[in-house]
Parts: sequence; structure tokens; C-alpha cells
Amino acid sequence: MPEAVGFFTDSSVCIGCKACEVACKEWNQLPGDAPKFMDSYDNTGSLNDQNWRHVQFIERMDDAPVQTGNGHAWLMLSDVCKHCKHASCMEVCPTGAIVRTEFDTVFIQQDVCNGCRYCISACPFGVIGFSAQTGTVHKCTFCYDRLQNGMTPACAQACPTQSIQFGPLAEMQKRADARLAALHDQGYSQAQLYGRDDAIYGGLNAFFLLMDKPETYGLPNQQNAVLPRRNNKSGYFGMVATALLGAVAAVVAFRDRRMNELGRGNNGAAARRNP
Amino acid sequence: MAEHFVRPPEWTWYILAYFFFAGLTGGMYAIGAMLRLWGRPGDEAVARTAFLWAFPILVVCPILLTIDLGRPLRFFHMLVATTPGQGGLIFHYWSPMSAGSWALLVYGIFAFVSFLEAAGGRPGGSRLVTTIGGLLGLFVASYTGVLLSVSNQPLWSDTWTLGGLFLASGLSGAAALLAAVARKDAAGAETEARLRVADGYFALIELIWILLLFATLAAAGTLSVALRAPWIVLWLVVVIGLIPPLAALGGRERARRSAALAAVLVLVGVLALRAVIIFSAQG
Amino acid sequence: MTNHWRDIKNADLILINGANPAEAHPVGFQWFVRAKLDPTRGPGKGGGAKIVHVDPRFTRTSALADTYLRIRTGTDVAYFGGLINYVLQNNLHHAEYVQHYTNASWLVKDGYGFKDGLFSGYDAAKRTYSTATWGYDADAQGIAKRDMALQNPRSVFQLMKAHYARYTSEMVSSITGIPKDEFLKVAALVGEMGKPDKVMTIVYAVGLTHHTTGVQLIRSGALLQLLLGNMGRPGGGMNAERGHANIQGNTDHAISWEILPGYIAIPAPGEKSLADYVKEKAPKKSDPNSWNYLGTNYKKFMVSLLKAWYGDAATKDNEFAFDYIPKPGGNSSWISFYDDALRGKMDGIILNGMTATSIGPDSTQVLQALAKLKWLVVMDPLPTTSSEFWHAPGMNAADVKTEVFMMPATHWIEKDGSFTNSGRWAQWKDQVIPPQGGARHDHWILADLFNRVKALYQKEGGKFPDPIMHLTMSYKDPLKPELDEIAQEINGRDLTTGKRLATFAALKDDGTTTAGDWIYTGSYPESGNLMKRRDGVQDPKKNDPTGLGFYPNWAWSWPVNRRVLYNRASADLDGNPWDPERAGIRWNGQRWVGDVPDYPPTMNPKDPKAWLPFIMTGEGTGRLFSNTPLDGPFPEHYEPVESPVDNPLHPQNSTNPAAFLYDQAAGRPNRFGTVADYPYIGTTYRLTEHEHYVTQHVEHLVQLQPEAFVEIPDGLAAEKGIKNGDMVRVSSKRGKVEARAMVTKRLGPLDVAGKRVWQIGIPIHWGFVGISAEMHPDKSQHWLANVLTPFVGDATARTPEFKAFLVNLERMG
Ligand SMILES: Nc1nc2c(c(=O)[nH]1)N[C@H]1C(S)=C(S)[C@@H](COP(=O)(O)OP(=O)(O)OC[C@H]3O[C@@H](n4cnc5c(=O)[nH]c(N)nc54)[C@H](O)[C@@H]3O)O[C@H]1N2
Ligand SMILES: Nc1nc2c(c(=O)[nH]1)N[C@H]1C(S)=C(S)[C@@H](COP(=O)(O)OP(=O)(O)OC[C@H]3O[C@@H](n4cnc5c(=O)[nH]c(N)nc54)[C@H](O)[C@@H]3O)O[C@H]1N2
Ligand code: SF4
Ligand code: SF4
Ligand code: SF4
Ligand code: SF4
Ligand code: SF4
Ligand SMILES: [Mo]
Repeated sequence: MPEAVGFFTDSSVCIGCKACEVACKEWNQLPGDAPKFMDSYDNTGSLNDQNWRHVQFIERMDDAPVQTGNGHAWLMLSDVCKHCKHASCMEVCPTGAIVRTEFDTVFIQQDVCNGCRYCISACPFGVIGFSAQTGTVHKCTFCYDRLQNGMTPACAQACPTQSIQFGPLAEMQKRADARLAALHDQGYSQAQLYGRDDAIYGGLNAFFLLMDKPETYGLPNQQNAVLPRRNNKSGYFGMVATALLGAVAAVVAFRDRRMNELGRGNNGAAARRNP
Repeated sequence: MAEHFVRPPEWTWYILAYFFFAGLTGGMYAIGAMLRLWGRPGDEAVARTAFLWAFPILVVCPILLTIDLGRPLRFFHMLVATTPGQGGLIFHYWSPMSAGSWALLVYGIFAFVSFLEAAGGRPGGSRLVTTIGGLLGLFVASYTGVLLSVSNQPLWSDTWTLGGLFLASGLSGAAALLAAVARKDAAGAETEARLRVADGYFALIELIWILLLFATLAAAGTLSVALRAPWIVLWLVVVIGLIPPLAALGGRERARRSAALAAVLVLVGVLALRAVIIFSAQG
Repeated sequence: MTNHWRDIKNADLILINGANPAEAHPVGFQWFVRAKLDPTRGPGKGGGAKIVHVDPRFTRTSALADTYLRIRTGTDVAYFGGLINYVLQNNLHHAEYVQHYTNASWLVKDGYGFKDGLFSGYDAAKRTYSTATWGYDADAQGIAKRDMALQNPRSVFQLMKAHYARYTSEMVSSITGIPKDEFLKVAALVGEMGKPDKVMTIVYAVGLTHHTTGVQLIRSGALLQLLLGNMGRPGGGMNAERGHANIQGNTDHAISWEILPGYIAIPAPGEKSLADYVKEKAPKKSDPNSWNYLGTNYKKFMVSLLKAWYGDAATKDNEFAFDYIPKPGGNSSWISFYDDALRGKMDGIILNGMTATSIGPDSTQVLQALAKLKWLVVMDPLPTTSSEFWHAPGMNAADVKTEVFMMPATHWIEKDGSFTNSGRWAQWKDQVIPPQGGARHDHWILADLFNRVKALYQKEGGKFPDPIMHLTMSYKDPLKPELDEIAQEINGRDLTTGKRLATFAALKDDGTTTAGDWIYTGSYPESGNLMKRRDGVQDPKKNDPTGLGFYPNWAWSWPVNRRVLYNRASADLDGNPWDPERAGIRWNGQRWVGDVPDYPPTMNPKDPKAWLPFIMTGEGTGRLFSNTPLDGPFPEHYEPVESPVDNPLHPQNSTNPAAFLYDQAAGRPNRFGTVADYPYIGTTYRLTEHEHYVTQHVEHLVQLQPEAFVEIPDGLAAEKGIKNGDMVRVSSKRGKVEARAMVTKRLGPLDVAGKRVWQIGIPIHWGFVGISAEMHPDKSQHWLANVLTPFVGDATARTPEFKAFLVNLERMG
């Protein structure tokens, strides 16, 4: 069993060049969506079946003639499947198409998926997309094929600034801690790691250094990072409760009056005497 | 405050239709079973009608489900493990879709048996089959709600009430439909009255669930998702659908003369309820 | 670059002016990030290098910068001027360096002066300067007087101090729009870089060159670096981020008209003999201790070039065929072709890998020029706005008589050969895919063309056939030369032994050596093609002994694999590095060690006869005062030809008096607008997602930036009721662009000369050819950014003013 791999995506040194997006499309032969102008530097829009990396651009500066950049005035983040330890997508998938690989990554088997799209409703990060062409769903494979051949994932390979760092998960976490400490020393108290520890879905194999609250980047905060199965028990409780109430209602409505007039009723007997 | 960043699964008309029919078939069978188990001899005729209806309605369900799949020919992947190197059957009790697929299959068998019995005109029928079938019917009518809740979609996952809600409305819809058809044969005429009483209770339960739904959504801060325009209109339709049965409960006899209309209103309500929940969360 | 990409990681302070490396050089930008993340770098106690990005727009580079300063486009001479003044006024310059490594101590001849924005020797009628008075107070041999105390009022140092005294922080602020206090904060950081143990790099690109003051903008930075003693040092230098993957190689091999390969000058009319030529063009020694290496060897380089080109036909008797070299009378720079064509003086043009129409400036006028040609050849793998120019917007195809030939050439991924990067590293590359379709290599097309022309001369003779008839084509197949053969030819040989040379030091002026480009001699010696070397990060300990990122056995850099130019200046007079941590070269008692020394390897620096540090100049030092630019020995701020304000320094001479106004010179009607009609400043630039115009053919990149847009400051958009995504019209006196508005706070207002001005950003990448154009046939009619830009050139380089011009802005109904 090879050791667990990870992505440390450091938004503080991302230059929004989108090399990761293109490298991913090239390697994975994704045609991409039809070109569409979206009023900003981001014309990719979101992660989906065609976009497995998506670079977000969030402008936060005022228009003063002097600015401090340092990755916090114009936020850029290369978003990707988080390869969650506790993966919502994997949890709901009825076919077992979504599996955890020997590299501890989350992978969708294209030959098993039947396109029910339940995983899409479950992924809290809106990562997975459905492809009409294949009739199945797609997302970042963590370059499973490249990992199997000892290669670095295409996006990390292409990233010029080491905003996307790839390696053994443990080492990535060490680097992230060091980088965070440095940023805090420089006074960027709002800098934070997302998914580095197990607070978010038991830990993310693709985790991030953010320069602001997770919500700013469209990432659920700890309180909202919850698994679908949380609603199983209560949901089925609702089912049983209603079933019982319904049964009582039925008994009340259908019960054989004559039998009652004779005293203690026995529906069973009533039914038996009416073959 | 629940904040969601998920994308919609784009479950639309097929799923809506499926949820609708799943509610009806399950409700039908369950009511049929309860009539048979706890009702009068005279009710048996209507019970049989219920079984005669439950199965055909059921049949459309897997069809709808299958054509909604991106890869319809792989519908069996829901039941058989096709991951290379694995094999055998696949059952993930924690995934309502997995559980539901099995429930639908097994329920289908029972519904079919009861259908044959009823069609064969043999009075009565195996109580065991009826009982188990009835329980499965309740599950099939209800699990679709649980399935929605077990996700991370806004609205759906912000409440745990959908399982109960769908069951209540399924029962109510089934009762109304049955009541309407029961009138046709003289034998049923007298069962019909009590069916409508039952429907009244079901509607009452449904109403309670709706209030609970709103309460849970309010707590999660996503009530607006459900109530925003244009969806509010559908909620009105839902409420209108509740009126006839509740009125019947209040013993308003006038309702009797317009049983057919009542049934339509109720059924439209059942449909609207599922529609508003499925669509408002995804749009 | 005086230094190289990887060397940027050695800097403590990085000034970025007129460049947007994160977008235009994303891969190179990693070295900026490395410096930033290296705790041992930086001002004061370190903690990481500081990046100061000065740009009209807050860009993806600014996003990582420690300080971003919004500047009015075209005013960096004032910004650098202010820094220079701050350094001089506060004595923050590197005293020993300035005294011995620059020409600060040289005395300037009487007659030189500067008044009201004009230097001495100006001819208003011709709009040119006579540089006669821009020289030294020298004896008959040209040896100049010096005042080592730098006190003499005629010393370069004192003249410079006086010249720059006007650039007070208030003046800088009112010219550039940078708030005074913020400017002073940056000045304090910069001032610290004069300390020997600190080093600063300046990085620039076409944000400085694309101005009518382009040359002086760049010189300003160089002057600052000389004052701070940062020239020749690892982590220092004046670093141009070059353009296309091999534009550096292009320049080295004389793509521009006024030079021959290796930057030796093209002969001028009147230079009748080699002797005349060398006398005119070679730098002259102005100090006894100046080696004047270039001047001394000028003839050797020229003769070796002639021998490479004309072989046996180049003999002592015919001055090695010196007369075969054309001696252009006029100017043949980029805009000049089109000017000539407009004046009907041009029959045809071969466009080899460039898109004239899109490049501009003033595309409408360029299109008219193309329409006046008899023929146009486009050698390109893909259709361009030039190969399709007759159906350009506003063109009536019927009126276009020009015959257009499209020659499908191979793209560089379809051939091997070398790329020379901005850091002068010549790196051999392999062919990625075989030529597609019927595409032919450029050098094969040209060889074939040459062969046919030669055949015609053979048949029909002609005025002066010799240069054609005698040109050597000594390749295995003269119609299909291999790039490897050409690389060997460029390296050059010793004709007596037939062996390839290892260094240009071996070149001779007696016709016994050849060199196709002397600065590349040594790239392909007998030991093989050094450009193929790849001893890199696979073993940093072994391959980068100094740890400074020289990687001496990775590829090959000119000259003679030297990684930092002028590196003698990285050590003090005794040969000890200014900063032992970051030593370029050091004298170990016997020889110079470290980088390949820019100095005789065994010359003892303590020897009184030791050469001065800058061996390539006549002075032997860096030049704070120079007579090579045609618009002044010191840089001076002039307003762009189209500017919303008068020059606060000298309103009477507001714009560059020597800028070349093509239309005026040719007697064509004026095409410049005024602030009354065009109140806003327009500036054009690149985006990461596209490579000029060619990537309009690349689906994935079109997806990333699908449609033409202009960036509009939030405040101005509010005034005009423009919302993000609206269609807007940006027009200049010359034409209009209609595109989507991208409303942003990354651009904003500037307060200059007591006036509030707005700048509008216009990416250059769209036109009427390519995928987006096909998707939007109507819209794309008005997507050529260059219909807006002015047809005017810098005084010296004739570079167009792509970066500053006046426009109006309207919201489209
Ligand atoms: N992605 C991409 N990369 C490229 C290219 C490409 O087309 N696309 N082209 C290549 C080529 S050929 C070249 S020449 C280089 C050019 O590389 P750059 O010069 O970096 O590219 P530009 O975007 O033209 O201009 C750089 C910056 O100068 C700023 N600027 C404009 N005027 C001024 C001024 O007066 N002062 C200051 N301080 N800043 C100013 C602009 O706002 C812009 O942000 O890029 C090369 N790399
Ligand atoms: N307004 C404004 N105008 C500008 C600029 C600006 O900043 N603002 N920048 C200017 C600058 S710095 C530059 S460099 C120019 C860039 O202008 P261009 O150089 O014209 O731009 P490219 O699109 O790079 O064009 C290169 C062409 O070469 C072709 N090509 C690629 N490889 C080969 C090959 O091996 N052989 C041949 N024959 N062709 C090949 C490509 O297909 C493409 O058509 O634009 C200039 N114009
Ligand atoms: S991010 Fe979404 S798709 Fe990726 S593993 Fe987690 S839940 Fe699954
Ligand atoms: S769409 Fe495919 S991967 Fe997603 S849940 Fe359904 S079967 Fe599993
Ligand atoms: S790991 Fe591979 S698949 Fe995933 S985003 Fe990167 S390149 Fe794409
Ligand atoms: S490649 Fe790296 S720097 Fe470029 S956008 Fe992606 S993450 Fe950011
Ligand atoms: S496009 Fe090519 S030249 Fe430009 S940065 Fe990327 S790798 Fe370097
Ligand atoms: Mo360029």
C-alpha cells in the first residue's frame, strides 16, 4: 500500500494563471465548456464534469492608489475535489462506483457509475458534475493514472509558483504549518488552513491555505461541514412515527363497529370470520 | 445557520413522477392491507381494488427511475456490485437510494402477488403477504423523503421531516383516490365514508409534518428557499389539497357529493408537495 | 537581462516597473516568489524579499506584491528620478562603487547644458539633437579629465545631482500620481539597497519600452542601480523580461535593422572602408585603465562575421567583402516600413511570424499601408489578421490590389533549434511534433527563396550581384539547412585548423576565423552543442556549487557562459565580493573564481595597471552620462505624445522633443487627439490567458478569456452609469474598440498636476481572426486594440507608444 498523498494548495502565492486548469484539461482530455464571458477574470465559473480545477478570483481591495497585495487583497484560489477522508459523495453512492484508492484519494469508477447523480446532491463543495456525453459523473481523479506511474499530478506539475504542492500527506501538512506560521508572523492573522486537520470531514487530502474565512471562498465552515447520513436516523424516525400514527388512524377509521358494540374488539377475529 | 455550496443533481420530472407514484402505490397497498386486516367484511372489496391499483402504479416506478439514469442499462448496478474484483449483491443500508432500490424490488414482488390474488377474485388472501407488503408499501411511500434529506442540498438536508411528510401525503393521496374509485361499486359505497375519515386523519398528520418542516427549515435559516416566489404558489396548492379531507373530518357531508373533485384536489396537492420540495431546492 | 531568471531569488528588494511578470512571465515569476518566501532575504533583518510593483493597474503581480503603487502611465522617469534624487540628497549611494565603477568622476565638456526641457544641441526644425556637446572634457587621444573627489561642478556626478534636484517627492507625486508619503516609504527601502550587504533588482518589460521616452525610462533604472552599486551583482542588475520565447535570440541575431549579429552596428553611408566603419562605430577609450574590450576587438568581430557570410569571397583585398553589407541611409524600424509603404516607397513585405495588422500601432493606418503594397508574403502556421487583411473591418476588399501569399510555415514546436531566454541562456529544444500538413520550415522557405533569387541573378545579372552570388550556403543540402549546421556556423571556426572555436577571444581580424555571431562563439565548440547541457536540479549540490543558481552546466549563456554580466563589479577594488554571501566572482590571489569572470581571469586587481571593471565601455566604467541615446545624456521626464496634462517640469517642452512623429514628418494629416475630445488615458497590455493574437486559435485558452473587454475603474464607471458586462465604446482620434466593460477597483483615479485623471485598461488579444471572432462575427469587427494607438516612435529605438494615449469612453445603447 503506497503512502497517502495530498495536495497543499497555498492561495497566498497563487497568481491566477490557470495553468492548473489547462494542464488538467490537457492531461485528462477534457474538451471544456463552451467559451462564455462571465464579467471577470474567471470565465470557468465552477467545478463540474469539465472543470476539475477552478481558479477563483475574489477582489477585495478599495480603489486607493496604494495597496498591499500579499495574496489578501485580490484572493485567488485553485479549487479542486478535496478527497475527503469522510466523503459525502462516497457515502451516498448506491453502486459503489466511488472508491478510496491505494493512494487514499477518492475516485469515481466510470465503468460502475450509472449516472444517478446522488453524489452530486451530497458533495458539499459542488465538485462533481454530470456529463451528458458519458452519462456518468466526473471530478478530479487526483490523476490516478499518473500516480500509478509515479508521476506528479498534472496541475501540480504545471503550477509555476508552488501554489499547488503535491506529496505525501504528512509532509504537505508539515509544510502548510510552516507557511501558516510565517504568515501569522507577518501579521496575516486571518490566514488559516482548511482541511489540514480532521475538523473538516475527518481531514482533506487536498487541503488549502486560505487568506480569509472559508465562506469567502464558497467553502462550508466547520459547523456546516456535515455528512448526509446525519439525517438517516431522524428521517427514518419520521417514517416510523407516521406509519404508527397512520396505523392508529386507520384502526380508528376502519375498526369494526359491531365488534365494539359486543365489547372488546378483535380485528384479527373479525377478519378471520370474514373469509 | 446552514450555508450550502453544493450543486443540484438536476433531478426533475422523472423523479417527481416517481416520487408521486411511489407515494400512491405504497399508500394504496398499505391502506388495502389495513382494510383487510382491521376493516369489515364489506371492506374487502375495496381492499382488493387497492391491490389491483397498487401494482400497476408501482410498475411505472422502476421505469421512471431507469430512464432518469445517465446510463439506464446500468440500472442493475444499484443491486449488483460491478466494481472489478468485487461481485455479489450490493446493499448500503446507510444510502437511502440503495435501501430504496431493494425495497422497491421486494415490495414489487409482494404487490404482484397481492395483485394476482385480487385479480384471481379469490376473496381474502395471505395475511402474511399482506402484512409484509403493507410495511414495505409504507417504506416505499416514505423513503424518497429520507433520500432527499440524506444529502447536502439546501432545504432537503436542512430537515429530517421529509420521510414522514411524504408518507402522510402518500397515504392521504391513496385514501382519496381509493375513496373516489370505491364509490363506483355499491359494495364500496359504505367503505368510502370511512376511507374519507381515514384520509382526514392522514391529512391532519400531513399538516403537522408541514408545520414541523417549516419549523426545522426556519431553525436552519433556509425557510426562504422553500417559500420564495414562485414556489409559494405550489404551497397554496398543497394547502388546498388538504382542505377536502380535513373538511370531511369535520363531518361536512357536502364534501361527499364532490368526492371525485376532492380526490383530484388531494392528488394535485400530493404532486405539488413533491414538486415544490424537489424543485425549490434545486432552482 | 544583465542577470537571469533564477538569480531574482537572490534579491532583497525587487522593483517591478512596466512589467507584469505574474501574467506575462508566470513561469519566471516563481523566482520572485522564492525570494519572497526566503527568510534570509529582504531589507532590514530580512524575513523575505520585498516586492514593489508600480503599475497603472493592480494586476496578478500586484496581488503578491508587498507594495503596489498606482502610477500614471509614461511617468516612470519621474518615479526613478525621485528615487535617484532621494539617494543623492541623502548620500545613500554606494560611494566607493560610484567613485570607481561609474563615470561620475568624468568631466563633461563645456557647451553641454540643459534648460527648460531641452538639452544642448537641439534642432527644432529637424526635431533632432546634435550630440556634439554631449561628451567629455578630453585630450587629443580622447582621454577624459576626471575629478575623483566628485566635487567639480562639471563632473558627471555634480551635473547629475543638479539635473535630478528638480525631482522632489512633491514633483514626483504631481507627475506620477503616487502619494508623497507612500513614495517616500518606498524611497527609504530603495535607499537601504546602497549598502554592500543588500542588493536590489529592477525588473521591467514593455511597460517601459512602449513609450516615446522608452530608452530613457530604462536608463533611469540603470542609473539608479549604478548609484546603489547593484550592477554586476547576483540579485541585482537591470533585468528586461523579454517577449516571445526566443525574442532574445532574435535580437542577438540582429532582428532589428540598425545592428548586425552580436550588436555590432550596421555600417552607415559614407563609411567607405572597414577602417572608417570601426572608427565611427567602435567605442573609444576615455581612460588609460580602460580595456575597452569591445572597441579594441570590433574589427575582429566584423571580419569574422564577413568571413562566415562570404567565405573565400571575403579577402584582405576586398576588405573582407565589407561593401557587400548594405549601408541603410534611412530608418528601417518597425513603424518605418509602414510609413514607407504609405509613402508608396515599398513594393512588398515578408511577414515572418508576425501579425502586422494586430501589432499596430494605428492598425487602420497599417492596413492602408498593406493595401499599398504590390505583394505581401505571410509565413505563418496559422491565419493572421495580416494574411486576411483585405477583409479587415472597414476595408473594401475590391480596392485592395495587394497580392497576398500565405506560406504555411512550421510552428516552433514542429522544429528543433535553440531558444534564448531573457537571461541569455541559449537552450536547445527538440522537435515536439513533425511538421503538420504541407508546412515547411522557415529556414527552408528562405533557403529556397534565396536560391531562386540567386538563379535569377545568375541568368539576368543585375546591378550588384556579388552579395547574393557569394553568400555561403555551405550546408549538406543548401535547400534544407539543418538548424544544427546553422548553430555551428554561428559559433564559428578557426579556418587554419577547421576546428570550431571555444571563445570569441580567439577571433582574429586577418580573415582566419569565422563567427556568425561573435557573442555565441563558444556555444558549439568541438566538444559539442553546449546548449543541450542539462545538469540541473537533479543534483543541486554538484550542479550549483555556489548555491546562487548559476548552474554553469545547464545549457549555455552568452557571453562565454557568463551568468551575470559585468560581474567584475560584484567585487571591490581588491577583488573581494561586496557581499560574501552573494559573491559573483572573487580574486583568490591567483585568479578570479565563481561565475565566468567578466575580466581577464588572472589579472590582479591590485596591479596599478589593472583594467577598470566595465571592460565593454570606452570609459571602463558604468555610464551615468551617455551620448548614445538620441534624446539626452540624462533621462528627463516628458509627457506621452497624447497626455491629459502639461509637463509640470517644463510645460513649454511638454513632450519628448526628439520623439519621431511619422505623420508630421511625412506631411500626412495629424492623427493625435486632445484632452478636450479624449479625456481619459488608455493603456494596452497582455493577459496571462493569451499569447498576443495567435492563441485566438487555441480552444482551451479562448475558454479562459473568451471575449474582448476593457477594464474600467469603478469610480469612472459609476460616473458614466456603466455596469460590469455592459458593452462600451473606447475611441481615440484614430479609431474605436467596442467591447465588454469589466468594472473594477483594480484601476482607480489619479491626482496629477492638480487634476483628477482616469486610466482605462485595454487588453490587446482580440481581432477579427480566430475562434472568438468566429463566435462573434459582428462584435469582433471592433476588437483590434491597436486601432487606438498612435503612429509615433521613441527618439532612439522608434518603439511605438502602445502604453499611453488619449481615449474617450461611452456606454453603448
Ligand atoms: N501571457 C502572455 N505572456 C506574454 C505575452 C503574451 O502575449 N501573453 N507576450 C510576451 C511578449 S512578446 C512580451 S514583449 C512580454 C511583455 O511583458 P509585459 O511588459 O509584462 O506585458 P504588458 O502587459 O504589455 O505590460 C506590462 C505592464 O506594464 C504596465 N504599464 C503600462 N504602462 C506603464 C508605465 O508607464 N509604467 C509602469 N510602471 N507600468 C506600465 C501595464 O499596465 C502592464 O501591467 O510578455 C511576453 N509574455
Ligand atoms: N497595443 C499594443 N500593441 C502591441 C503590444 C502591446 O503591448 N500593446 N505588444 C507588442 C509586442 S511586444 C509584440 S512582441 C507584438 C506581438 O505581435 P506578434 O508577434 O505578431 O504576435 P503573435 O501572436 O505572437 O504572432 C506570432 C505569429 O508567429 C507565428 N509563429 C509561431 N511560431 C512560428 C514559427 O516558428 N515560424 C513562423 N513563421 N511563424 C510562427 C504564430 O502563428 C503567430 O501568428 O505585439 C506588439 N503590439
Ligand atoms: S470533495 Fe466532494 S467529491 Fe470530492 S471527495 Fe469530498 S465529497 Fe467527494
Ligand atoms: S452518479 Fe455514479 S458515482 Fe454518483 S452516486 Fe450515482 S452511481 Fe455513484
Ligand atoms: S489532480 Fe489531476 S485530475 Fe485532479 S485536478 Fe489535478 S490534474 Fe486534474
Ligand atoms: S497554476 Fe498555480 S498559480 Fe496558476 S492558477 Fe493554478 S494554482 Fe494558481
Ligand atoms: S508560456 Fe512558455 S515562455 Fe511563457 S511563461 Fe509559460 S513556459 Fe515560459
Ligand atoms: Mo514582445
